Amino acid sequence: METVGFLLDGIFTSLQWFNLALLIFGCLIGLFVGAMPGLGSVNGVAILIPITFIIPPTAAIIFLAAVYYGAMYGGAISSVMLGIPGASTAVATVFDGRPLAVKGEAMTALTAAAVGSFVGGTVSVILFTLFAPPLAEVALRFNAPETFALMVMAFATFVGLGGDDVPKTIFSILIGLALSTIGLDLITGKPRLIFFNIPGFLHGINFLVLAIGIYGIGEMLWTLEETKGKVQMSKLSVNMKEVGRAFGALKKTIMAMNIGSFLGFFVGILPAAGATPASLMSYGITKQLSKNSKEFGEGVPAGVVAPECANNSASTGSMLPMLTLGIPGSPTTAILLGGMILWGLTPGPLLFTQEPEFVWGLIGSLYIANFFTLVLNIALIPAFLMVLRIPFAILAPVIFVLCVTGGYAPTQSLHDVWLMLLFGFAGYILRKLDYPVAPAVLSIVLGPLAEKALRQSLILSDGSMGIFFDVSEKPIAAVIMYIAIVLLIMPAFGPLYRRLFKKKQTA
Amino acid sequence: MSIIKKLALVVVSLSLVAVSSVSSAKPFSPKKPVELIIPAGQGGGADEIARLVQGVIEKNDYASKPVIPINKSGGSGGEAMTYVKKKAGDEHTLIITLNNVLTTPVNQPELGIDFFNDFTPLARLITDTFLVWIATEGKNTAGVETFDDFIDLAKGNGLVMGGTGSMSEDELLLGMMRGQFGFDAKYVPYSGGGAVAKGLVGGESDFTLNNPSEQMGFYQSGDSKALVMMTPERNPAFPEVPSSYELGYPDLEYYMMRAFMAPAGIDAEVEKYYTGLLHTVYHDDEFQTFNIDDGKLMSWLEGFGLKDFLAIEYEKHGEIIKNFN
Repeated sequence: METVGFLLDGIFTSLQWFNLALLIFGCLIGLFVGAMPGLGSVNGVAILIPITFIIPPTAAIIFLAAVYYGAMYGGAISSVMLGIPGASTAVATVFDGRPLAVKGEAMTALTAAAVGSFVGGTVSVILFTLFAPPLAEVALRFNAPETFALMVMAFATFVGLGGDDVPKTIFSILIGLALSTIGLDLITGKPRLIFFNIPGFLHGINFLVLAIGIYGIGEMLWTLEETKGKVQMSKLSVNMKEVGRAFGALKKTIMAMNIGSFLGFFVGILPAAGATPASLMSYGITKQLSKNSKEFGEGVPAGVVAPECANNSASTGSMLPMLTLGIPGSPTTAILLGGMILWGLTPGPLLFTQEPEFVWGLIGSLYIANFFTLVLNIALIPAFLMVLRIPFAILAPVIFVLCVTGGYAPTQSLHDVWLMLLFGFAGYILRKLDYPVAPAVLSIVLGPLAEKALRQSLILSDGSMGIFFDVSEKPIAAVIMYIAIVLLIMPAFGPLYRRLFKKKQTA
Repeated sequence: MSIIKKLALVVVSLSLVAVSSVSSAKPFSPKKPVELIIPAGQGGGADEIARLVQGVIEKNDYASKPVIPINKSGGSGGEAMTYVKKKAGDEHTLIITLNNVLTTPVNQPELGIDFFNDFTPLARLITDTFLVWIATEGKNTAGVETFDDFIDLAKGNGLVMGGTGSMSEDELLLGMMRGQFGFDAKYVPYSGGGAVAKGLVGGESDFTLNNPSEQMGFYQSGDSKALVMMTPERNPAFPEVPSSYELGYPDLEYYMMRAFMAPAGIDAEVEKYYTGLLHTVYHDDEFQTFNIDDGKLMSWLEGFGLKDFLAIEYEKHGEIIKNFN
């Protein structure tokens, strides 16, 4: 009951006119930085931190959390409308959001993104409210072997991503993994795979460079070839019938919402993971478990809901280790954490008892922020749809410029722009040869996390892989690992079973 | 450092700042946001100070453009140092140091970093201390009350130590302790002091050699406790933790320098500007209070004094590395 009182206080705190104005303003800024390729919640929050020194800490965190939140929604906009991921957290949204828009169902895609985000955000903040202290304990027990097992599970779900062509999918995963090892060795700090001694490879391959290359440039080349430049976007009218149809399509996405909300939240609370892996994993698992998994990638609303639900859920989740353990769960919360220290707060186990107004003000504001971003998004959909009325001859150069800035922004090096173009061509060719590219994007995100966890685990176990399978010593890791193996076997042997079964029938 | 010496330094440096602003017709000021490179992960000691410096500058409008902290934690600082080396002559880049700026160039000669020629040292603001931390409910360290208990336990058992990266300060420190006390431990690297602290409390490691701020949240909550601080005297922020001197181990003394450097090849004007800016930050009340409460030692050093200090430390670390290997 005490919690309810605190929460109501928190909600009232964020409804004070000053806090509410900041919250709405923050959501709008978030939408913008999220939608701009190359700018994400990390940049948005980092740029705005200084502003928060002149307002009280509670107002400051409400404002910044709203920016963080809005960016999770905003990323979907450019993913759907332009086919370029607006932020790293929205890469998985491209997989199905873009095909939907191309099919003339952009309205459905945007509605799915907005509602998915709302559901993910709301479920996670409820989980946060009810279970914050015990979940902090879970995050604390989730160490290297558990993290590695979770990564294996993510890869396992992606083997099924490329459809039935398992060898091609594995090839794509391996390409991504190989690219993710470029740069400095995570444990010893030695440079590795620095091709031709080009210093640009020292910072590794930023995964946005690959994602923007493949989806932005590659997609544009593909469209140009397909249509010889004469892209006809289907006429879009925004009327109540359309809106009704868009909401109707969401009925089939309940499972995606569940997976996205819970998985996203769980991955979010693990330190160092964050919303990007969460959205990719949620997409993979939803596809795997869906009855019509073959349609994923061709434009199904569930393929938009799953990652959008997960990235919002994870962004709330990642505030949990920040508040309770003083450890960032994502790059953005790392910056928020820095802010909290400067506002004179000590993040850590005592924060909930020492600064209840701050913590509950933040949690309360998340409920309100969710509601307002949903309203803003739905209201702005007609404005976003205008993008589709722009002729391709004008849109293509705009997309190109956005891709180049998006590739340049994270590391500010031209080296990455060239790499991005290279990946664009490579992605185009892979697509012509019918190779799935999503698994490569997933592995470049998860590769470094998996490698670090694997090597830490092996140091702990003196090199024995047994550490991942020992049910009595590391039950969480072992259980996840066994689930991963099952998930891996399912799609790999699925076609085989089907073939055997068919043979029996014909015989 | 005595108060008189401190005051003298303040006067000298203030006058330097004053002179610099008078002598030049057109003093330098940043024309775009200044990147502050952190050669370590988020949530660690260097990260915290970098963000504190950023905050103090923003809050009081000490600079015309904002300072943006950027973490480049790869390769024990190798990634950050390579980045700053490439930025030679850039007037809008700074780097905060850990001691890894002294060790990484030696450990990774293939990076081609020349500590004395690739950077322009500006000032040292803080000296950070090291403590031996265990989890209050650590399953392998149950019953350990004192540092001597700990040594006895560590000698017999292979304990696991969480640290901030291969050949980083805490691994070198482990090497020093190995020589002095004859125990060894399995070293597991994490990405930053925050993750190290979590690994300790989460039961993955048995002890850490973290800086005070990295363990502060768990110290205040009672989840981890310190056995010794590697300094001559007790620190008011940790009144119950004995110093290594009083336990009779004066050789166990080690510090982390929190200094700032710019890339090589910047104008003297630019150097003066940033040193002056850091000096203003150093004397900010909030900055002082925050760091003293956090158990850090305030230790301003600039100019030739800083260069001498760095040369001595570089040599000392070379020696530690040699012994380590």
